[in-house]
Amino acid sequence: MQTIAKMEQVQAKAFSLRSYLETLESLYPEEIVRVSKTVRPAEYEVTAILKHLEDRSRFPVVFFENPLNLKGKPSPVPLVSNLYATRERCALALGTDPADCQLGLSLEYARRVEEPVPPVAIQRSEAPVKEVVKTGDEVDLAEYPIVRHHEMDPAPYVNMTPVMKDPDGGFYNSAFLRNMYKGPRKLGIHMSPRHNWQIHRKYEERGRPTPTAIIVSHHPAFYLGCLNVAPFGLDDYAVIGGIMGQPLRLTPSETLGEEFLVPADADFIIEGFVVPKAREVEAPFGEFTGYYGPQRLRPVIEVTAVTHRKDAIFQHTFVGHRDNWVMGGLPKEGAVYNVIRGVIPTVKSVHFALSGSCRFNCYISIDKKVEGEPKQAALAALGAVDFIKNVIVVDSDINVYNEQEVMFAVATRVQADRDIEFIKNVKGNTLDPSQLDDITTTKMLVDATRPVNRAFPERVRVPQEVLDRLRLEDYIPAKKLEKLPVFSDSVRSV
Amino acid sequence: MARIFWVTCPKCNKRFYCHSEELLHKKIDLLCPYCGIYFPQEQSPKIQE
Repeated sequence: MQTIAKMEQVQAKAFSLRSYLETLESLYPEEIVRVSKTVRPAEYEVTAILKHLEDRSRFPVVFFENPLNLKGKPSPVPLVSNLYATRERCALALGTDPADCQLGLSLEYARRVEEPVPPVAIQRSEAPVKEVVKTGDEVDLAEYPIVRHHEMDPAPYVNMTPVMKDPDGGFYNSAFLRNMYKGPRKLGIHMSPRHNWQIHRKYEERGRPTPTAIIVSHHPAFYLGCLNVAPFGLDDYAVIGGIMGQPLRLTPSETLGEEFLVPADADFIIEGFVVPKAREVEAPFGEFTGYYGPQRLRPVIEVTAVTHRKDAIFQHTFVGHRDNWVMGGLPKEGAVYNVIRGVIPTVKSVHFALSGSCRFNCYISIDKKVEGEPKQAALAALGAVDFIKNVIVVDSDINVYNEQEVMFAVATRVQADRDIEFIKNVKGNTLDPSQLDDITTTKMLVDATRPVNRAFPERVRVPQEVLDRLRLEDYIPAKKLEKLPVFSDSVRSV
Repeated sequence: MARIFWVTCPKCNKRFYCHSEELLHKKIDLLCPYCGIYFPQEQSPKIQE
């Protein structure tokens, strides 16, 4: 009850990054660590600390109080990392119960996507993100703690969400895109052929620069909202408002005024234009797949302004790791579940597993009634989300959040020649290293369910009534139990 | 992912990779991600397709 009351208190206020961190720190202080020692984000020290934690299976939010900037001097703003590395913290961001962070959270997200909340505009003078405004030559991105993530990255990268505005429809679109530091007022930008790419292409075909604002820091619900899979043409600011459960407050940008609005409660925003027809080498960059995307020719952004709160916090995601994976899968699961439910009402759960960077591998459980339902479910999932490459459909006795169980079903219920289908030449993902070209891939459908049209063996089990009757502590002392080693491969959760 | 080619930096001798269709045999200087120099790919001691 105390948790819910506190969450309601927070939700009554405008969402901001600090409101989230205050809630997290008061309710779950064990979820956040503060590092007061100086770190050099541009020299991999931030990601080295995150990797050390990962190697110990620890995924806290890490607040770096004293990062250096790109000039090797103390940054005027601290840095926060790893906000999205657990589903529990994503649930907290959406104001839902962290204990219900599997399918319940995914379905709540999907429900909110269907109920967009129009944004509201406020004056610049009321907008916290305008407390510090730098334009033109006053801007120097090297003053900030931009993170260089992996060894082959050529530079530090801002890897949060550029927002663009469609020149025809007037709607805004946001997406996580990588932005390479190229100079005090210059960034490179990589866009896959998705929504922001479409918008940029329209401006470029007309010979016009594409206005953009990179929202570097905001409440995590804002960023989870950015990851919606709503159709192109819906205003992301309204969808994000739906996800947040309150209207997103907007304010005029420094660059284009009321023609281009930006989130008023952000901590830090970079404004600029994507230059038409300009291409420069960019990357390699360690991507969500866990591989580097190759160096290629990509557009550049001329930065026109930086605005931030006086006590701003700089944010990044640990791309190619759990922080970046969890946030990518969760917003898709509910949408896929709802599409499948339209054709297979007995669908039980949908999960994008960590093993596929929470994008490529989709596990679906159904309570199968007739043959053919598993492949129907798989086809529905593939139609709903283009990121999905491999679909495994299992029976409802298999927990799709436990990859070991999913692979048990594959091992014991699949005959490859009968139960696996391939669909060739389907749109894939430019960053999938197994693809031989930029666009197309082969999708795989695996039916790992038991047959219903013939007798099939039963799984072993110890009688439930005996399990219920027998308390382990009555046979092995509690202290001894606590000291027994736990083997991670026996409880690997995905 | 598109086809890539590995290239060796003429200054630091470290290897990285690039997008073949966009950069292989093109008159575009490549950027070594390790030492930060731009160089024409003809100067690379080794290119592996």
